[in-house]
Amino acid sequence: MARNVVIGLLGTTLDSGAGRRWERWRPTVDLARHDDFLVDRFELLHTPRWASLAHIVRDDFMQMSPETKARCHEIMFDDPWDFEQVFASLLDFSHEYTFNPEEENYYIHITTGTHVAQICLFLLTEARYFPARLLQTSPPPPRHRGDPGTYRVIDLDLSKYDQIASRFGRDQAAGLSLLKAGIATQSPAFNHLIAQIEQVAARSRAPVLITGPTGAGKTRLARRIYDLKRQRRQLEGPFVEINCATLRGDTAMSALFGHVRGAFTGAGGARTGVLKSADGGLLFLDEIGELGLDEQAMLLRAIEDHRFLPVGSDREVTSDFQLIAGTNRDLRKAVHAGTFREDLLARINLWTFRLPGLRERSEDIEPNLDFELERQTQQMGTRLTINRAARQAFLQFASSPDGRWYANFRDLTAAVERMATLAPGGRINTSVVEEEIGRLRRDWDDADQSGLHNRQAGNDSLLLQEFLDREAIAQLDRFDRVQLADVLRVCKTAKNLSEAGRVLFSASRKLRKTTNDADRLRKYLAKFDLSWKRIHGRAQK
Amino acid sequence: MSNNWINENQELIEIDGSYGEGGGQILRTSVALSLVTQRPVRIKNIRAKRNKSGLLRQHLTAVLAAAKIGNAELTGAELRSNTLTFRPGKVRHGKYHFAVGSAGSAALVFQTVLYPLLSTPGKSQIVFEGGTHNQKAPPFDFLERAFLPLLTRMGAKVKLCLHRRGFYPAGGGCMTAEIEGGDLRSLSLLERGPITSRRARALVANLPANIGNREIKEICKKLEWTREEAKAEVVQSDGPGNVVVLEVASEHCAEVFTGFGARGKRSEEVAREAIRELRAYLDSGVPVGEHLADQLLIPMALAGKGSFHTVPLTDHTTTNIELVRYLLGVEIDVNTRPHNGTVRVDVRR
Repeated sequence: MARNVVIGLLGTTLDSGAGRRWERWRPTVDLARHDDFLVDRFELLHTPRWASLAHIVRDDFMQMSPETKARCHEIMFDDPWDFEQVFASLLDFSHEYTFNPEEENYYIHITTGTHVAQICLFLLTEARYFPARLLQTSPPPPRHRGDPGTYRVIDLDLSKYDQIASRFGRDQAAGLSLLKAGIATQSPAFNHLIAQIEQVAARSRAPVLITGPTGAGKTRLARRIYDLKRQRRQLEGPFVEINCATLRGDTAMSALFGHVRGAFTGAGGARTGVLKSADGGLLFLDEIGELGLDEQAMLLRAIEDHRFLPVGSDREVTSDFQLIAGTNRDLRKAVHAGTFREDLLARINLWTFRLPGLRERSEDIEPNLDFELERQTQQMGTRLTINRAARQAFLQFASSPDGRWYANFRDLTAAVERMATLAPGGRINTSVVEEEIGRLRRDWDDADQSGLHNRQAGNDSLLLQEFLDREAIAQLDRFDRVQLADVLRVCKTAKNLSEAGRVLFSASRKLRKTTNDADRLRKYLAKFDLSWKRIHGRAQK
Repeated sequence: MSNNWINENQELIEIDGSYGEGGGQILRTSVALSLVTQRPVRIKNIRAKRNKSGLLRQHLTAVLAAAKIGNAELTGAELRSNTLTFRPGKVRHGKYHFAVGSAGSAALVFQTVLYPLLSTPGKSQIVFEGGTHNQKAPPFDFLERAFLPLLTRMGAKVKLCLHRRGFYPAGGGCMTAEIEGGDLRSLSLLERGPITSRRARALVANLPANIGNREIKEICKKLEWTREEAKAEVVQSDGPGNVVVLEVASEHCAEVFTGFGARGKRSEEVAREAIRELRAYLDSGVPVGEHLADQLLIPMALAGKGSFHTVPLTDHTTTNIELVRYLLGVEIDVNTRPHNGTVRVDVRR
């Protein structure tokens, strides 16, 4: 057990006991008498002038508490009310003292000494010059005269004793839990991300960009950020969400910004638009990369000035909303390709959080499974359970390479919902799980075949990882990824560059007179910092 | 034998420390008898109903002393711990030194190590330093004048010597004990017999001598004792202290009653405290008083036989009887006499 070490100043008045030292309460000495607090070592600080009193106090301490080693230390200051002197001498002591926090608990006794000394001790402890907790003692009430009084430990680090800090801490913990929908997620990367989002949500009204694959939970997270902000009374208005991929043509503009009556053919009545609806609240624009350039320009203005023009109107409308944008595209690439405004990206890119897909958070599958089960339980109104073997079977499949989870949490939710529906008597058993695993496999196989997710999707990325590092792969568009993966596949099996070129460009070579397929392939590979030599050098090992 | 607060399995005996009076006594008796019987014990819910629950320093001191003489393995021997597991090793005689903080008491540590050492062949010399006179524990005078003569009569070879008194809170006292292991004989204390001598002492250390004089005056007045029988004494100690010790020797035993001085408490009241206890004892007509009854249980159980008449049992003693009965596997019969409420206790195998 760690030893308790108390460091304290000699109280020249109170510790003297004024001639009746065994009858009076002495703050330092009475620390020896608490039956639930054992001081293993006491470091008594005093100025040379008070050496003899310090020795009495030291000896009395050890007599009452034979388990304690009490030691005197001389420190220098002429005037105990001189802030600078007292602070300097205590600071010196803290520098010279060897702290061993692994094995010892330190307590700074702040009851003795002048108020100036107390302040200095407090400051030095708060600044961690003393890696200690504060120890405050008080005399017994008159009817308990002769008792050692009370002591109180104040830990400036542990916000427990600081009401304000503790309330802040509670809010933060509640906020984190809210953002995670109460799911005890295990993934350190994800938890770190959520902690950051909590801080940003608490302190900033700037737009937030959430990226990540489909079904990673962008909408859910946006919704929870809203709940959190609303709970903290940072928002009064509603949560409004719209998927930009569903907006086309004129309706895009009016859906976002609204229109006045008769603004265009068919515009029989006025429409408010989501930006105005979100006034005072939070607007979640999912798939923001799908937004047209005109809408982007309007949106930028609306974010910056909180003003915009509804379609067909000549009167500007104001709306003050918190924006969260979601995307599964690389917006930087879109800027490069001219389909996304650079200034808008800069504006919404202040806080970008990338939500990892389910496969990157395999440790979170279990807590999410529990969460979904609980949710189903509530929805169905009957208790839903999963036996241990079934749980293991499901989790094993879920975190294996077979668990492709193309739609991430959306897939997981659907899987649990199906199992819940099919579970006999609300009990999910292994056969229900086996059935579901089969269903998921078939779904993903279909997806692979339908080209939505190339059959080789998994293989593609494995293949790419053979030759490119993770960062380089992340820079690739899906478009390029598929193409490069196929090129690599051919290169790996071909004997040489020319053969690979012939295979890859077999269609076009029929039309051309002179062909240099090998050169064409070399140039293509060079774009990705790849070469024939490199492919075969690596592939061989 | 089963009991709702003491349970055992193959591994150890588990004792609910919150049972009955639920204090430090359960703890001390448990570890002492664990050493005697060489059976591991676990005490849970230590002092659970008390204001500050768990192990406090004075309890820890006694437990650590027992562990020291008995090479015991401890788990949970920490301040404020609620559960203590005590696995006894071999008890060894030798020279020991136990420092007791002022809140503790040398007498309580002495009692904890006494029986394991008495039950083991060999001889020990033990120095106890710290508190010897503390309101919450038997004072040295009680051990020396009331308890030890009876223990000696049972065949125990124990010597106690007080070198310096250590009053609460300053402590700084010193007491030595010589304990030689050996068998105990049975003892029967059913009659008090006529009173042979009376003595009152008012001990004063580092306080005005007047305190002692006032106490003696009160004793002489209330009890009608002579000035020969009652004397004030100035004693040496590191800190201030005052205690009134009333001693009554009768044909078959002696009893000691004390009153402690405290700040703000009138000297006369200190004297009256001891007088009240003494009178209750004298009126009951039994040989054994409340505290002595408590102390006789273990040696009689170790001897395998013993009887005494005493005043109505306290919770403290009832709890102790159950514990001793279980841990030492003896029968302890308690019979209350209907006409005056006094109690006959018979210990047998």
